[in-house]
Amino acid sequence: MNISPLMDDGYAGEPAKRVLNYMQGRKQKGDPIVGIYCGYAPIELIQAMGLVPAVLCAFSKVPIPAAETVLPANLCPLIKSSYGFIIEGTCPFYAMSQAVIAETTCDGKKKMFELIADIKPTHVMDLPQVPDDREARRNWKRMILKLQGFLERTFDREADEKRIEAALKSSNRKNALMRKLFDYAALIPPVLHWKEMYDVGFLALPATGEEMAPILEVLLEKLEQRVREGTHFGKPGAPRVLVSGCPVGGDATKIFKVIEEAGGVVVAPDACTGMKAFAGVFEEDSGDPIAAIADRYLDIPCACMTPNNRRLTDLTAMIDRFKPDAVVDFVLQACHGYSVESYKIGRHVQETHGLPFLKVETDYADGDTGQLRTRIEALFESI
Amino acid sequence: MSDAYRSMWKELGLDLEAHDMLLGVLGNAYQEIYLSQKERPEGMGYFDFVMSEVHGLRIKELLDEKAAGRKIVGSYCVFVPEEIALAANATLVGLCSGADFATEEVEKLLPRNTCALIKSAFGFKLGKVCPYLESADMIVGENTCDGKKKAYESLGHLVDNLYVMDLPQVKSENGRALLRAEYFRFKAAVEKLTGSVITTESLKAAIQTVNAKRKAIHRLSALREADPAPISGLDALLANQVFFYDNPARFTASVNKICDELEKRIEARQGVFPAKTPRILISGCPQAVPNWKLPFIVEGSGAVIVGEESCVGERGTRNLTSESGQTVDEMMAAIVDRYFQVDCAIFTPNAERLAHIEEMAAAYRADGVIHYGLQFCQPYLMEAIPVEKALEKKNIPCLRIETDYSMEDAGQLKTRIEAFVEQLKG
Amino acid sequence: MERRFAGIDIGSRTIELVVVDGKGRVVKSLKADTGFDPMAEARRLMDGVGYDGIMATGYGRNLFEIAFEAPTVTEIKAHARGARAFFAQATSVLDIGGQDSKAIALFANGKVKKFEMNDRCAAGTGKFLEIMARTLGFDIEAFGDEALRAEKETAISSMCTVFAESEVTSLIAKGQDRREIALGVHASVMRRVAAMLQRAAPEGDVVFTGGVANNGCLRSLLAQKLGRKVRHSPQAQFAGALGAALIAMEGKGR
Repeated sequence: MNISPLMDDGYAGEPAKRVLNYMQGRKQKGDPIVGIYCGYAPIELIQAMGLVPAVLCAFSKVPIPAAETVLPANLCPLIKSSYGFIIEGTCPFYAMSQAVIAETTCDGKKKMFELIADIKPTHVMDLPQVPDDREARRNWKRMILKLQGFLERTFDREADEKRIEAALKSSNRKNALMRKLFDYAALIPPVLHWKEMYDVGFLALPATGEEMAPILEVLLEKLEQRVREGTHFGKPGAPRVLVSGCPVGGDATKIFKVIEEAGGVVVAPDACTGMKAFAGVFEEDSGDPIAAIADRYLDIPCACMTPNNRRLTDLTAMIDRFKPDAVVDFVLQACHGYSVESYKIGRHVQETHGLPFLKVETDYADGDTGQLRTRIEALFESI
Repeated sequence: MSDAYRSMWKELGLDLEAHDMLLGVLGNAYQEIYLSQKERPEGMGYFDFVMSEVHGLRIKELLDEKAAGRKIVGSYCVFVPEEIALAANATLVGLCSGADFATEEVEKLLPRNTCALIKSAFGFKLGKVCPYLESADMIVGENTCDGKKKAYESLGHLVDNLYVMDLPQVKSENGRALLRAEYFRFKAAVEKLTGSVITTESLKAAIQTVNAKRKAIHRLSALREADPAPISGLDALLANQVFFYDNPARFTASVNKICDELEKRIEARQGVFPAKTPRILISGCPQAVPNWKLPFIVEGSGAVIVGEESCVGERGTRNLTSESGQTVDEMMAAIVDRYFQVDCAIFTPNAERLAHIEEMAAAYRADGVIHYGLQFCQPYLMEAIPVEKALEKKNIPCLRIETDYSMEDAGQLKTRIEAFVEQLKG
Repeated sequence: MERRFAGIDIGSRTIELVVVDGKGRVVKSLKADTGFDPMAEARRLMDGVGYDGIMATGYGRNLFEIAFEAPTVTEIKAHARGARAFFAQATSVLDIGGQDSKAIALFANGKVKKFEMNDRCAAGTGKFLEIMARTLGFDIEAFGDEALRAEKETAISSMCTVFAESEVTSLIAKGQDRREIALGVHASVMRRVAAMLQRAAPEGDVVFTGGVANNGCLRSLLAQKLGRKVRHSPQAQFAGALGAALIAMEGKGR
């Protein structure tokens, strides 16, 4: 199979390098960089102030031993990795960032941010845990306004409603194009590979709609051409897999690789590193763009929310759209939120959709790839 | 064990066989850990009685209360305000979460690497061995840590009377408003449950009742400053544990009675351990009945525990609710103020806790601090890092322990604690 | 005749007995396998050895205390004392025993300042190395030297002994060089104990005690990782028993 790379810009397969190049370009233009860790960071507000959001390093196993000299071993690898990158000074995005935005998502992150709060200006957003509570939206909007205050003070810049409105419209445009892109993974057989989704998503997250639109339009044309030429991924009848759960990046992509080696195709990478980041629509011209931002972000079905029934609804929509043959719930070790919730997800997938389900709990190390492979193969046998 | 109790347990739907086994284990542990102690205050006899009847007479009392029209509210956390329950004609009891039970069944619902306390709460339900849970008209869960927050979603499928309280994570004005809204919501829920409306009088009386209970514990704690220690850490922990089960007025009277006795002991320079025995402050996760593992090992290794910086301990009882309110709203505000001060590790940042640990170490003249973390409890395990650093700066030795309810690691724990005691002796 | 003091270290794998004279000079060192009946082994070892007082340490110390009515001291204090007997200025001690490993920081006067032990699993202990040596078909005594002959390391990522064993087995099945895997195993143990040392005893030369101290591969990997000198005595395995004997002597002397 010789398919030319979708993003043929010399960075194919190296999304971090591509984004670093993008960040350096923006920095040279004088745009300050703000580090973010999580899908709840309101990118549109950051962009409206002419700042650049940089997703900070969290997906490599390399800095974990350094982190473990301080942190408890029973902590999720994403947090250990993030912390290790900081104390070892090996994350270029962190080095570029003048401030960091954090959220009270899970216990581990919440407490880790306390340990790094004195290194760089760090603003912690108090994220509601019960999104359907009457007060939640108002509280979250208040937190976004507080963040605005923090950014204005730190960077001596201002964001007016007009610019925020423009930023969310720009995101709407970008996200719609991204969803269009994902449609090609929904085709049977898929003409879009998970690596390509990962590649594009990595850049699309921090970039603006204006920057992304021309790029995405070219990619969509290419995908159309693949459809015309009959180019696709996976052997005929290859099991289609939806991967839900914790973020999958860097060393964690081993799960995608194992699925592929076992003969499957990843057609729907859910999670904050996948399609979740581009889901949802900001209400336009509502007269209160901050509230529109708050609403869209609070709809993110993260396991830190309780109850997180929106994840079930979204999962159903995703299953209808991508027609997977099996669902893998990817849980990072010691991530209590996703781990506990997996029981509910399993029941939903099996009972409502009648699909085979597998919960995988792992970390960034390669030690268990053999075992993972066996389990994935067994999953495929049950289709 | 009378037949009357057996039929009571049967009616509650307990699994009698499993429950017998549990009581057997509990009785043996109590014998070995508590009754073997030397020089115990006579007043502890009351607590021995309470423990021997913890699933018997106390449950009968609760059922009698129910028959008389009161309601029982079960809780897993010190953020559930007892004042509100009492004022609405309900009794608040702590629910079982201090021992492993039905682990295999539990691990079908919860990940293996969930903390022992959460697994225990599920185990007592699945194993049908907690009469408190089965007597409760309302079970209150609360969004504290990730594990509990998500586990309540599953517990909701196992019981039909679960009420979940949201809690803030940041001590901001917003956080306070959230707590306030949640306490009013809780008030309405309890009022609906009991059919009685909270009045100025009932709330005032409830605040006084709970404060009296706390003051009795404060008095007990202050007496532990003495050297030689007039009471063992095990016994003091037991009093703090029974705080969650007993009738409040009777509890207060019993603790005060012990305190009278301890005062005489102190005057006579009489203690449970010799003077100059190394003194240890325990800080960290709660120790629920019958989790006596750590103090048993510590006090069997030549040290005495002089304080518990814990929810079952001073974190849970430290603050009083102001009694100056004249209206329900004013008193509710006082309750919010009181509970908003609890320095649980779920808050970020949580600097008050650090200050409290240092204060307690000084007040109780602790030679060292043992930071007790339940395995997989990320909030406390993470906070142990700055706690240890801060204590070291003050030259207070600190030992970090991470363990669970099983006795598997008892040997290694003993070595570590003995070495820590050697270190304190210098 | 001059008074003599004994120390006995009852570990999970071996028992060591050391006798010192009134000046703390070693007059006898004996060792035996712990076997299935540690007290019987201890009795056999002590048979015919004369002393005026004995102090027990090691995980079997409490059994010994009951059987022989002897005082006890923890392995932490005993190894700290033993390390100071080998190197008088020692302030950082690493002991890797059969089922425990510990990092100990000492004040300048030799008192224990802080210590840390491995958590409940066997990774980073002598037991781990032994199981891995057996899985790889090496003699435990030669394990370190064999690993040192490898030109590169095959990384072992599993921390847990059970998983690491199956990881090693699958690496062998893939045809990986046994010595390279051995080096990987050593590096994995090294990372564990290095992290512990950095937390508990981050400064000064490291005095390595316990049987595993004789493993040259582990010593050199540790020194490289920590950037600190790692010192050991050929008698390292007797550190716990020696420490206990010296503590017995010092206690009686006062």
